[in-house]
This record gives sequence, structure tokens and C-alpha cells, in this order.
Amino acid sequence: MSDVIRLDKLPEKAIIPMRQHDGIACAPLVKKGEEVLVGQKLGECEGSDLAYVHSPFCGTVESIGLMPNPSGKRILSVVLTPSECTQSVEFVPEKNAPPSRLIQMIKEAGIVEYYEKPTYLALKPGKRIDTLLMNATFPLITHAYLNSLDKVLKGFSLMLEASGISRGVIVVRADDKESIKAFKGAVVDGKPLTIAPIIGKRHADYYLEDIDDRIIVVAAGKITYTPTMMNLLSADVMGRKISLGHEPSDVHVVVCGVKSSKAVYDAIYEGKPYLENAVTVTGAVNKPGSVIVRFGTPIKDVIDACGGYRGEPGKLIINGSMGGVAVYTDEAPVVKNTTGIVIQTKEEVLRDESIACVHCGRCVDVCPVNLLPTRIASYSNLGKYEECEQLYAMNCIECGACAVVCPSKRHLVQLIKYSKLQIHNLSAAEAMEEATK
Amino acid sequence: MAFTVSPPPHIKEGVSVKKLMWSRFIVLLPLCLASIYLFGFPALGNLVAGVLGAVFIELAIQKAFKQKVTIGDGNAVYLGLLIALMVPPAVPFWLPFIGAVFGVGVVKHAFGGLGSYMFNPALATWVFLKLSWPFLMVPLSVPQLGSLSDLILETGAGFLADASPIAMIGVLYLIARRYIEWRIPLMYLLTTVVLVVVLGDPLSYIFTGSFLLGVFFIATETSTSPITRNGRLIYGVACGVLTVVYGYFTGNYIEGTFYGLLLANAISPLIERSTVPKPFGGVEA
Repeated sequence: MSDVIRLDKLPEKAIIPMRQHDGIACAPLVKKGEEVLVGQKLGECEGSDLAYVHSPFCGTVESIGLMPNPSGKRILSVVLTPSECTQSVEFVPEKNAPPSRLIQMIKEAGIVEYYEKPTYLALKPGKRIDTLLMNATFPLITHAYLNSLDKVLKGFSLMLEASGISRGVIVVRADDKESIKAFKGAVVDGKPLTIAPIIGKRHADYYLEDIDDRIIVVAAGKITYTPTMMNLLSADVMGRKISLGHEPSDVHVVVCGVKSSKAVYDAIYEGKPYLENAVTVTGAVNKPGSVIVRFGTPIKDVIDACGGYRGEPGKLIINGSMGGVAVYTDEAPVVKNTTGIVIQTKEEVLRDESIACVHCGRCVDVCPVNLLPTRIASYSNLGKYEECEQLYAMNCIECGACAVVCPSKRHLVQLIKYSKLQIHNLSAAEAMEEATK
Repeated sequence: MAFTVSPPPHIKEGVSVKKLMWSRFIVLLPLCLASIYLFGFPALGNLVAGVLGAVFIELAIQKAFKQKVTIGDGNAVYLGLLIALMVPPAVPFWLPFIGAVFGVGVVKHAFGGLGSYMFNPALATWVFLKLSWPFLMVPLSVPQLGSLSDLILETGAGFLADASPIAMIGVLYLIARRYIEWRIPLMYLLTTVVLVVVLGDPLSYIFTGSFLLGVFFIATETSTSPITRNGRLIYGVACGVLTVVYGYFTGNYIEGTFYGLLLANAISPLIERSTVPKPFGGVEA
């Protein structure tokens, strides 16, 4: 926990994309040559799925245009030349605000969940919710915030207050001793936190009934629940499986992240919008670790802060080597949904060639949600998306386990994802037809 | 700086089709050595003829149709070896050669190549040879049954594979590494043992090399067995039942193994289709 570095060095150029989550893009509010302050709103948007964009730097707008992005695409961004000034807009902390105001403030701060949903929307799904889960199963990310654990917990309490959810469950990995130790020493509402293991059918509900605490910590298993693994998270922690085509909110669960909890604390107790994040850097760098980075900082600056590349870099992966995107340039900035950077050396880069399926069934054996990945992928490849739907392709959590074990090196995840997109389009087209009748 | 752009996942397990095939080939080598020791030069000739036939026809087909030559993946070599192991030691060398040409040329490539064939090429070849040259395909003597020492080195003749069942022990390593499926052999063995005991036939039948070759190498052929978890259990049971049905009524469990497996291959797609797993969390709440 002591190895968290704060990246204070100003980048030469900061690229601030107008869309930093999977939602609506913002329209830039500034013009070329304009001076901006820390915390100034750069992008405004309208709609339901929005996250405002603020400037983490003080500086001059150099240009506005399409720039590289960690998503691999080029996205409309404001390019800033940061200056040494530390002047910021006035941050107005607001304590003892009513829940509706809290939600408003979370929305204003532009906070986004780790699974690409704006926090204000995630907290208010418009359904009966009884539990808020905090997914702290990314050990490196959690470690980066252990120094400010009290703030994270306060932010978590604020989220409970804002959403009106009565109980909070913090999920950590059972083998993440460091985090468990830190949570053991933490105090919420004047009481120490309870740490409970998940054993067999004893899910979080079992412990919440016994204890009258608002928040408990559970040690779930040895899995890191990635953004697409909601179904598993809900099943493992709450004992509630999500049926086909439903969301966690349908089983009365809402999920948030460690980073957004800290951001909520900053937004409400300090009045600061969402400006920085912890990013973990692993793989072929000289000093792997966690770095607190302001959004818009190019990835190469983050890597320099970690001692630079070790050997010749071959692949730059954003957000994990299982499902992450390999980007083509290290000029791309860190954005709100950037969690981790993995660097592979030239030798580590896989150069497999996919061949025909041999029907070994290894993908079926490893699939955590009982699918037949090879069959869905084959149908998807043939363009038979209805057959994919009949094989429950929509249930796929895109964990990538099937592609890892495939001896034929097929692109199973991509084919299944493509079939999901097509199924989605088909049903949308059907709905359109219904509506126009 | 140039970075590679490719789809996730960016780390994969080091298993490949090439590894799966060559590991099976290597595990069969001790059995080949035992058969050469027992049957002498003809056994060696048969094995080489089988492998050569398989490689020759694969090369010829892939060159003729301008496909990528895939001899390196070991599938043809493995099939050729398997075909040679399923003939009696005293046959002329052209028999396993023709068999391998038929197996790889017709049963594998005419049906779509690696991963697409509906019958195990080695199995279909055995039936083809058996029907075409019935006199050649009868072993000079059947394996003597009864004593456990036959497990180590068969005293009777039989097919090449009957030389030394214990020499196939390496297959357990492959099963532990998950290179070979465990559900099918387990259910196949269990079903056969139970049925044989119930029907009152001598248990020593299942210690023959041909039967164990069928259990560990032919039944577990990936293309011709179901991919669903439950499907593989049911397939194992089906293999056992069909083997015993043939073996009980003809009294020849060795041929029963091969004919039974061929029928099991035929019903494998049906088993797979009827055992599609329910999705995690159910379809509707």
C-alpha cells in the first residue's frame, strides 16, 4: 500500500476525451486558445446516460479534435497544454445534504462506475434494491486505495444514503490478505467492520441478518469479478443468480466500485469533480505498481512514472490481459474507465493462428455460466444468430476463459460478442417493426 | 513505437491441437515397442506402413486441393499409428497402408478434415478392412484370457494393440493434464464392468489391449464425441452398453468394442443435441 505513486509531473499535452464511458458523448464547452482552470467543466451533455467531463489541469486549450483513445478508436477530445498554475474553480463541499441533492452532486461530478455506467444512474435503477455491493476484488486497485480507506468507506456510506439502499456489502478476494487486514482495522459508524467468509450456502444475507451493522465486508472467493461478471458476483456473494436477459438490479442488487466510492467522497466532502484515478501498471515495466493519475495524462507518462519499459514493448493492453484492448499508441490518455495497463514484451506477444475446432469440449468445461462457446462461435461465424440465441449467447459474461484454453486458438470471445450484438440488433429491429405497425 | 493490436485474451494456455495429437502419439509408442518385441519385424513394418499411408494421402490431398499442408499437426501420423495398431500382426504390409489411405483420405478428408469427420477414421477403417479382407483381419489366435499377467505382456496374439495393455499407462498422465477427456473412459469402463458382471461373462475380457485402446483413445476422439458435460457421461454409458450388447451375443468383446464404438459415434450428435445445458440462472425468473 505504500507503493502508490502520485503522478505529479505535468504532461506535455493532456488529451481529454469528451466521452470517457460507454454512453453519450459530451459537447465541448471551451474553444481553442481558452484558459481553463482545474475542475472546470469542459464537456456538457444531454440525455440519460451522461457523465460530465471536467478538466484535471490548469492550462490552455490547444486544439479540439479526434485523438487516440484507450478504447482503440479516435474520439473527439480537448487537448490541453497544462501550465504550472494550480488555480482551480471553487470547490464547494456540502455536508448533510439530503439524498436527492447527493445524487445531483454525484451526477455533476461526472462519476462513472467501473462497468461504464454513470454512478448516479447505477444507484437509482428504479427498482426495489436491498443491497449495494462494492466490488473490491481487484487486489491492486484496492491496495492503491488502502491509504485512504476511511474516505472510501465514507464515500460508500454516502452512496448508501444517496440511493436509499439499507445495506452495503464490500466484496474482497479471500486470498487478498492485505486488504482484509486493512478492512479489519477500519471503523464505520463508530464500530469496527465485520469480515465474513462466504462458505457454501452462507451468503451475505446470512451475516447481515445476524449483525445490525449497515456495512459488512465479505471475503468471496479467489475470483476477480470483472465488469461483465455481474451474474457471477451476484450469485457468489448474494446467492442470487440472474436469469437470462436480466440485470443485477432485477435481483435487488446494485454494484459499485472502490474508485467511485472515493470519488463520491471527494465530490461531496471536498466538492471536487471526478479528476483522477488509480491505475495499476503491470508486466514489462521496471517498477510495476499503482499510480494515481489525472485523466487526460498520456499512457507513456504513466509508464515513465513506473520506471519505463523493460525490454522492447510489444503490446500495450488497457484493462487487463483477459478482456482488455490492445492499443496502437502510448499517446492515448488515461480516462475514467481505465483501470489497469499491462505491457507485454515482444516475445510475450501471442502469434497464434486459428484452425478448425476439434470439438474437445475444453471451452465447455471452463465456462462459468454453462454455455457451449464453440457452438455459439461456429453459428456466429456462419451468420446464424437465431441459433446463437437459442444456445443462450446473451448469457455470456465475456470472461475469455474459453479462448484461453482453446487448443485451436479460435477467437471465441469475439465471435460470441458479435453474435450478441447481432441478436441485440435483431430484437431492436423487431421492436421497431412492432412499433410501426 | 510499434505496438501489436490484437483481440483479447492476451494470455493463453500453451495447449494446441499439435500438442494434443503428438502427446497421444507419444503415449502410444510404448505399446508399439511392446508389439514389436512380441511380434517382431512384421509389427514394425505394419506400424511404419500405417503412418506412411496416412502421411502420403494427407499430403496428396492437401497438395491436390491447394490447401495448407497440416502434416505437422500430427493428426494424420496419429491416425495412421492407431490404424496400424488395430490390425493383426501377420497381415501383409499393404493392408495397413491401404487402411490408412482410406481412413485419412475418405473418412477424414472427404468429410471435411480435422474436426469435421463424423466417424473416428481409425474405427471406420477397421470396419472397412474387416469387411473387405475378412480372412486377413482375423488374428491367428485370440488373446488368452484369464490371468492378470496378460495385462503386462499378452501371451496370445490378437491385434497389435493387444500386445501389452499396461503399456498404455501414459494415458493417465494425459487425462490428468486434461489432454484427454475423463468422463467418457470412466463411464465406459464402469458400464462395461457392471454389465459384464451382471451378464456373467468373464471380466478378463476388459483387460485386452483392444478394449482399453477403444476406451482411452477411440471413444475419447474429440470430433466424434459430444461436447456437453452430461453428454459425455451419457456417451460413455452408451459406448459401454453397445460394446457389451455385441460382445455378449457374439462372444467376441474385441470386435464388440469396435462395432459398439462405431454405433456410439453415430448417436453422438443426438446425445449432444439433447443435453444442451441450461443457462446459469435459468431462462426466466
